[in-house]
Amino acid sequence: MSSPLIDRVRGITADVLEVPLTQVTPDSSPETLETWDSVHHLNLVLALEQEFSMQFEPEEIDQLGNVGKIVEVIGRKQNVAS
Amino acid sequence: MGIALQPYTEDRTPAVVAFNERLAQGGCPPEFRFPESPTPHWLPKSDGLPLFQEYYLATENDFVRGGFILKHQTFALRGQTHRVVYYHLPLSEGIINRAYATTGALMLRGALKMQPMLFALGMGGFGNPLPTMLKAMGWNLSAVPFYFRVNHPARFLRNIAALRSSFSSIVLSNIAAVTGTGWGGIKAAQWMRSVNSVRDIATEPMNTFGVWADELWETCAPLYAMIGSRESSVLNCLYPPGKNFLAIKVLRCSQTVGWAVLLDTQMLNNKYFGDLRVGTLVDCLAVPENAPAVIQAACDFLTRRGVDLIICNHSQAAWGNAFRSSGFFSGPSNFIFAASKLLAQQLDPIIDWQNEIFFMRGDGDGPVNL
Repeated sequence: MSSPLIDRVRGITADVLEVPLTQVTPDSSPETLETWDSVHHLNLVLALEQEFSMQFEPEEIDQLGNVGKIVEVIGRKQNVAS
Repeated sequence: MGIALQPYTEDRTPAVVAFNERLAQGGCPPEFRFPESPTPHWLPKSDGLPLFQEYYLATENDFVRGGFILKHQTFALRGQTHRVVYYHLPLSEGIINRAYATTGALMLRGALKMQPMLFALGMGGFGNPLPTMLKAMGWNLSAVPFYFRVNHPARFLRNIAALRSSFSSIVLSNIAAVTGTGWGGIKAAQWMRSVNSVRDIATEPMNTFGVWADELWETCAPLYAMIGSRESSVLNCLYPPGKNFLAIKVLRCSQTVGWAVLLDTQMLNNKYFGDLRVGTLVDCLAVPENAPAVIQAACDFLTRRGVDLIICNHSQAAWGNAFRSSGFFSGPSNFIFAASKLLAQQLDPIIDWQNEIFFMRGDGDGPVNL
């Protein structure tokens, strides 16, 4: 059984950005996490796409500005798909 | 409202100026500026020519947060004509403001969505942000080899050694690897080029490319895995008369076998070349068997003008062999070719296609910094 969406997103974010899971909260963003630069943002997008078997549109990539928003966008896409 | 991609229109110019000012205030070097006019100075869209540039912006309300350029060009891929697009000068506010760290990925994905047959070129080395992002997205990256030939060993060694850069260290160690000393290595290369000299070559300076260039293009295009169109209409646009390019036609036994476009530049405190006078083989074309003739003609032409050093980037293996047999050394290359997944798929049936594509400094955004 899969873990709640927020926990999966936090786990992927921590892995990609190489920070402890405890540092990743819904408010975590490029402005709060030192390693979240443009290259790591792309890596995060790719990791999320693989994990959730989806592809983000260019305009959605801009909406992934913090962990909470990532959860929102993924949730919305999953609802549309189902 | 989030960030959206849109073509650069005149009304956005003040916002681009403001974007550039923010980049400057953030400490970005002068080359990190987006054009402050929506109409490209170089290769604007014109009727009938499949070679042009388009500018795109990443906008947030009235602000510009990034931009990139797409250069459209016709290529021969495995002998078939395709429109392939060059992605360049991607600039994002994320460089100076972490709130816009998402913009670089947005622009890259947006460009790829518009033009799936995309490539990037140059980029300053594998470790920089753009090639790192392209690699992460599954693009195929390879370095375009760099070749150099020394005409004046003493002046070359004095200038290059004084630079004490990682580039000069690698260059000197590559030369030393030939015979054990820098001077000896250069002398050995000079001997090699006299031994491999091609006979019966003539050179004609020219201002424009004519029908003969189209005939040569038709012969050469199917012989390379991927090569940008080098038809006369394209060449006359890329290398117009009146610029500082030196164009030569190469003949062998009175038959046209190739052409070359060259530069002769007196460097001043250049970070790679010090104060050397540098000749550059910017672009050229011939069938692979005639590569040695074209290289020799280009080198003779530049040598007569008095250059200290002749340099070239060339990706194709037969041309690489011809450079080495003409007394060129290989040097470190930070000139990277990156092919999008779809573009690489078109080339994949060719074994070792990275060595069979034909890219030089004249491709991409042209011979900048030379």
